[in-house]
Amino acid sequence: MEMLLSTLVSALLMGMLFALVALGLAIIFGVMNIVNFAHGEFLMVGMYTAFLTATIFSIEPLLTLPIAAMVGFLLGIASYYMLVRYLLKGPMIAQLLGTFGLMIFLRYLAMCIFGPDYKTLEHGLLIGKSIMWGPVVLSYPRLGTAVLSMLGFGIIYWMMDYTRLGKALKATALDVEAAGYMGIDTEKMRGLAWGLGGATVGIAGALLINFYYVFPTIGILFCMIAFATVALGGFGSIKGAFIAGLIMGMIIDLGGTYLGPQYKFALIYLTFFLVVVIRPKGLFGW
Amino acid sequence: MGAKTKIISPYFLKVTVGLLVVSVAVSIGFGMARAQPAEVKIGVIYPLSGPVAHAGQMSKDAVSLCVDYINNKWSQLPIPIGNWEGIPGLNGAKIKLIFADHRGEPDRGADLAKKLILDEKVVGICGCYHSSVTKTVSTVCEKHKIPMINPESTSPVLTKRGYKWFFRATPHDRIFVRDFFEFLELLTRGKVPGVGAVPKSDIDEIGACTENTEWGAGTRDVIKEFAKKYGYKIVSDVTYPHESPDLTAEVRRLLTPKPETLMFASYISDAILLTKTMKELKAKANVFWSQDVGFYQPKYIETFGAATQGILNRTVFSKKLFAVKPVARHINEEFKKRAGVDFMGTSARAFTGMQAWAYVLNKAQSTDPEAIRRAAETIEISGKDLIVPWKGIKFENVGGETNQNTWSSGLIVQYQKQEPEIIYPLDAATAKFIYPWPGLK
Amino acid sequence: MQIRTLKDALSFGDLPAVERIGFILFITFCFIFPWIIKGGFAQAVMIQFLIFCLYGLGWNLIGGYGGQVALGQAKNVGMSAYTVALLMVRWNIPFWVCTPLGVIVATIESFVLGYFLFRLRGHYFAIATIAVSLVWQQLFINWNFIGGARGIELPLRETPNFIYMQFDSPVYYHYFAFVLVMIAILYMNWFRKSRLGYQLRAITANEDVAESLGINAHWVKVKAYCITGIFAGMGGAFYTVYYSYIDPFSVMHLELSIMIALMTMIGGAGSMWGPIIGAMILIPLDRYLGAWLGGRGILGVDFMIYALMVMIISAYEPRGIWGIIEKARRKR
Repeated sequence: MEMLLSTLVSALLMGMLFALVALGLAIIFGVMNIVNFAHGEFLMVGMYTAFLTATIFSIEPLLTLPIAAMVGFLLGIASYYMLVRYLLKGPMIAQLLGTFGLMIFLRYLAMCIFGPDYKTLEHGLLIGKSIMWGPVVLSYPRLGTAVLSMLGFGIIYWMMDYTRLGKALKATALDVEAAGYMGIDTEKMRGLAWGLGGATVGIAGALLINFYYVFPTIGILFCMIAFATVALGGFGSIKGAFIAGLIMGMIIDLGGTYLGPQYKFALIYLTFFLVVVIRPKGLFGW
Repeated sequence: MGAKTKIISPYFLKVTVGLLVVSVAVSIGFGMARAQPAEVKIGVIYPLSGPVAHAGQMSKDAVSLCVDYINNKWSQLPIPIGNWEGIPGLNGAKIKLIFADHRGEPDRGADLAKKLILDEKVVGICGCYHSSVTKTVSTVCEKHKIPMINPESTSPVLTKRGYKWFFRATPHDRIFVRDFFEFLELLTRGKVPGVGAVPKSDIDEIGACTENTEWGAGTRDVIKEFAKKYGYKIVSDVTYPHESPDLTAEVRRLLTPKPETLMFASYISDAILLTKTMKELKAKANVFWSQDVGFYQPKYIETFGAATQGILNRTVFSKKLFAVKPVARHINEEFKKRAGVDFMGTSARAFTGMQAWAYVLNKAQSTDPEAIRRAAETIEISGKDLIVPWKGIKFENVGGETNQNTWSSGLIVQYQKQEPEIIYPLDAATAKFIYPWPGLK
Repeated sequence: MQIRTLKDALSFGDLPAVERIGFILFITFCFIFPWIIKGGFAQAVMIQFLIFCLYGLGWNLIGGYGGQVALGQAKNVGMSAYTVALLMVRWNIPFWVCTPLGVIVATIESFVLGYFLFRLRGHYFAIATIAVSLVWQQLFINWNFIGGARGIELPLRETPNFIYMQFDSPVYYHYFAFVLVMIAILYMNWFRKSRLGYQLRAITANEDVAESLGINAHWVKVKAYCITGIFAGMGGAFYTVYYSYIDPFSVMHLELSIMIALMTMIGGAGSMWGPIIGAMILIPLDRYLGAWLGGRGILGVDFMIYALMVMIISAYEPRGIWGIIEKARRKR
């Protein structure tokens, strides 16, 4: 019982982070039907940004969030205007493999600049602290990450539903041509979607650095989980990404604890596979 | 008497003998000089990029330093290689290292071994850190009949394949794990200084946590085997994928049955994440032991600082050896100047491996592979010349193993105030054992 | 009928003269390679090149002609490699018996998977194949019977042995791989002109129209996917005896699947020579530049060059280098 409770809590906390990582992927896929394989590398860039700003200027890691978001945003925009725009004209194979190229490029650029070392942050408001809450251990960095992830989610959700910009994005997602007729600059909207995707995952990276190490090839781990999350939630659905993120957290933690940790990835990928085969739309996809 | 001496004048005798000696010496010298190259190439294969590049780069620095000692005169160095200028047995031929980067991929390692052997014409191979890469590279060496000395791969299988050209200098995982159980036995008998007899029931429930590649999986099998033999119970047995994004489930599963003795085999990235997660989950146990590698690197101590207090490691090297081995201090200072870090298990073994190469070449007095192999089979290097606390280096075939260094031995060290203090073997101990493990503070 | 098939496979008459000359040069080069180039590393890289040619030619069938981005080639390689290794190590069965069995296992896996997965289209299919190959890799890592993460090592035999495909000289492996690649090329040559080939290309061009013409798109894709599995299986069996050690990280890795796809893409997916051109560029780049840079402590540059090539080609000429060549030829 004790174990179940603490597993559930940590599963939910981790799930919220997974959801935030997957959010950007969901936005990009929703708006232009392209799978971004470089998503995990965007996360890595966010992590390095937060790590470098926090160590060079020796500031509190949480304050690096806006900077990481900014860098992520610019990276997303740059990727769209310099690469993805051209990929969209080509066949599907070019779209899939083009972002693979971006993934490899970013990964080894980081390898070239930072070397293969593992880097961790040691000082910060949350780092390394935890409290006991009954039988459950609550780790501050995870708790903080979860709360801020929720906040980020809330902001994006609100923006999508209640602002003109969000509505324009949604319209572009539903029907590019019709949105164009309505006077929406669809090209700009697509660029914006990439920017938003990059910014959210940049924030996720800056949060993750509070309890995780960063190294150049970290991206693929989170990228695969994000794919599974987005597939489960439904490609393009923001609500879906959130709920699927929580479910993924549950699968990893409950499966890992009760079935054996060696099978937790197999479980994630199996879920991923079953969802894609049985219900390709996912839980909330359109 | 007088008549005799007049038959051959002493002057003439002296001149003839002198001439003879000189001409023999010249001809021998000339012949040697022609037969022996001025340079001996050794191929060194390490993971210089990829996920464990950190270890590969440290090993590279260590072997380069060793070769610097061999090739140039370092008169202050109190071991023979300090006085060498090149390999004496090869008329002062200098060692030239040729590095190759296998990135942790067995097939790339095999291809590079072919490059070194066939194109660069190296006389031997040194490496490769990963047991999996050592497997394919040693197969290539065996096929091409080129000797290979392996300084650091600890998978027990490697020397059980009956290879004639593969020599391993380090003790392997069976020896390390056996040492640890021996140590636990001593603990129960109250022989360990710093702590009274610990009842066996306080330490006999083992939680094993190993990573899931060749090395971790091998260690896990050995732990199981010895636990059974020594009468310990494995209450939790966790394996996890190398470079996992989250280890909470693993740690929880490891800790839930409340194991009293924790045993780990992890690479550096996972070791950091595991320790962080255990810190968050407030892990408790009586003994915390790990298999070197991830838990015994400068990076690990730097990351966790005072929280490392009380963690045990198997290794072959500790800074605390300096008291009994002044030469190790001397070499460590030079290493720190170049690499920026102290010697640790991996780098010390790489240094020793290269030293073994130099001695073997010196003994072989030839660069012929067969001669080198025979020299390696019969060599006995005294422990006094090494920086590691072994009896020495002697490759022997015992107990189904071929060319394993039977004079090697392991150490068990414990972090105390961030310094690795030697605990086992007891006669080399530099500090009292801290029991129980104070937890990660 | 059979003679016709053979004639189709062996006749390159419909190709332009330049391509025929190029093909003859390629064969001659591969044939005399071990005699003119004595370098050990060069020979190792050449064999690596031939293995990747085989993978690429197979993948081109489904990824190029079929337009289905299957990113799970490594699992077929692994299935066959493991079957061969297990049979050889546990029961001492000769390589020549194991290989067909390995290929059959790889093909069955392709068939079952293809049968279910080809209900999906586009991105969903690509992602599902990734998921499956990751599940397989995880299972293989944890499956103790087949050695788990420790992998399987073939015992080294005292003397060179034809039955177990163990030789001291790489020349034998070179010719064996070369024969496999020749089989693949001849098969592709037949395939281009076959009924299946036309059906598959019709589906790629427009699946709905193809279906309306009475082509069973699902079945055709499954067939093509199985054939892809056969070539991957052959490559896997060869890899096992060549390196005599396999583990789930070297033969079932996602990176291998990606490498195969990207290589074919760079060379030109959907063209006969694309995979060969791709392998010709990428394998030497990977091995030589990697060895050169790695020895000097420069990290990642080789991969960055490779990634830039992939990005430029997918953005400007998705038909790859072969596409560029054809365009230039048409202009002239």
